[in-house]
Amino acid sequence: MSDPRFAEIESHRPYLVRYALSQLRDGQLAEEAVQEALVAALESIGSFGGKSTLRTWLTSILRFKVIDLQRRAATERHHFESSDSTGDEEGWIEELFDETGHWRVAPQAWSDPEAALDQRRFWEAFEHCLDALPPAAGRVFFKREILGENTDAICKDERITASNCWVILHRARLGLRACLEKSCFGKGAADAG
Amino acid sequence: MQGKVNCREASRLLSVAFERALDNGESEALQYHLGRCLMCRNFDSQLKFLRKASERFRSGGD
Repeated sequence: MSDPRFAEIESHRPYLVRYALSQLRDGQLAEEAVQEALVAALESIGSFGGKSTLRTWLTSILRFKVIDLQRRAATERHHFESSDSTGDEEGWIEELFDETGHWRVAPQAWSDPEAALDQRRFWEAFEHCLDALPPAAGRVFFKREILGENTDAICKDERITASNCWVILHRARLGLRACLEKSCFGKGAADAG
Repeated sequence: MQGKVNCREASRLLSVAFERALDNGESEALQYHLGRCLMCRNFDSQLKFLRKASERFRSGGD
């Protein structure tokens, strides 16, 4: 009953796993991709015309499975990161405020920040400070303030609640402000460049 | 919310005020705090500056 080609297809499994591993860097995902590819290959073996080698044909099927899994994995990572990002709320806020809720480093008065908007050095610092934010905070701030999206859209996209979103934005604004003060507006910042 | 807020809470309210209207209690507590705290007044004006800078950034910065 068994198709002789079944054994032949199976014989390529180790190679296919190696290929999948090189693309996915995750053993379990790689096995999963290969399994799906082999099932698909058996279903459509009739369409294999022998113009390429069997291995090449199998690899082309596997490549689609790999891309599909990469997309799914990226989505899961993304959501994990988002939901994980507010877990350390107390930790970061304690760096900025003491136990009585006072600023550990007092925000200074910035001299003529408007003028900085015309300076290249300010925009370099702005980008540097955006990059320095935790990933979720940087992403949410970017969507909210730079793209001007509304909070509802961001919550939906990030799969977080509105209050989580506000916490993340609070964190981002505090972080960005502190970073800009250090690099552009604080005492001694002018000497730095 | 009523009564006094500390700097941490004031900074939170200043940030949240960009997202939703503060209720009367929040607003009063915040104004009372700002009236007495130069650091938080600095923070307040810097948040407004951040928004302005972000809008400029979207259209290409300098």
